[in-house]
Amino acid sequence: MSTSIVVIALFLGVFFGFALNKAGLTKYHKIVNVFRLTDLAVLKFMMTALIVSMSGLYLLRGLGLVTFPTIPATYIAGNVIGGLIFGVGMALSGFCPGTCAAGAGEGKLDYIVPGLFGFLVGAALYGLTYQYVFPAISAIANVGNVVIPDLWNLSPFLVVLFFTLMSLFLFYLIDRAGLHRTDRG
Amino acid sequence: MKPIMAYIRRDEWSPYVAGILLGIVGVLAVWLSNSLLGASGAFETMAGMIGKALSPELFNNMYFNYIMPPEITSGVILLIGIFFGGMLGAATSGTLKWGKKDAANSDAQWKQIFGQQTWKRWAVAFVGAIILEYAAGIAGGCTSGLAISGGMLLAPAAFLFIAGMFASGIITAMIVYRKRY
Repeated sequence: MSTSIVVIALFLGVFFGFALNKAGLTKYHKIVNVFRLTDLAVLKFMMTALIVSMSGLYLLRGLGLVTFPTIPATYIAGNVIGGLIFGVGMALSGFCPGTCAAGAGEGKLDYIVPGLFGFLVGAALYGLTYQYVFPAISAIANVGNVVIPDLWNLSPFLVVLFFTLMSLFLFYLIDRAGLHRTDRG
Repeated sequence: MKPIMAYIRRDEWSPYVAGILLGIVGVLAVWLSNSLLGASGAFETMAGMIGKALSPELFNNMYFNYIMPPEITSGVILLIGIFFGGMLGAATSGTLKWGKKDAANSDAQWKQIFGQQTWKRWAVAFVGAIILEYAAGIAGGCTSGLAISGGMLLAPAAFLFIAGMFASGIITAMIVYRKRY
């Protein structure tokens, strides 16, 4: 690994962790309340990040300034089942791997000890059972490393525009029309 | 300059402002290093390194030898960066928990719902973390490596993952909070 890669990765990580902290995602209640639908800040944060990054990336690619890295693979059953199990862990713990690392940096012991240690245990379990689980599940409805515009033969700019308008409409509903539940504690 | 500094020092930003920052970081990851943000993969690499040190035979398998070989990857460096980024964020708002009395569990809502005992929070956090990491393996990434990184590239996998995550997250929160949901 070259020095420049280390420096870039550190730089990206610091701003990433900083954004997670400032968005409040390193707090248990912030994560859980998005699932209770009483505080949708996590949703707003994620969708805003997606709007900015997808617009930026497809624009830069259109200008010939970037090439995309390997696209995360779509294998429908595994992506959905993985997401379903993931949501259980997230609603229980109130963190995910990234926010736990940022919260650990803040000095939160529940993030440092059971959090980081739990991830290492989970990772070991996964690696030790990988061959019995992953090849089978990733073979179901596997469409490979595709993106939606190529899969459905759509203009990427239309897809980005659609996602952006849909998100802005949702933000409008949440912020102006009060689309969220009230915490009755 | 002063209002900007005052805003940086705030404990919590508007999710839109923080989201824009994360979006820019996502673009820069691709632009500067042709890589994606992620977190769960780094734990797999580190688990392989620790596992091979503790029990070389058990961890001598295809996964820890070839798919996630035991070496310091840029993902591990990124994770270290996230750690210090969280520290920096909390430092600017004076909310660091290092050495503080409530560092073991500082969430008021948790205590209100589940009580003051630290062991309970730690047990649930530990089980939750194991579930999260295993699930990220199956799905092909976590909230950062799949939901954000895949979503910004418009990979269907990301949106399938997000849908699953919210569906079960809502159901789990309902079960855990019962009447207080």
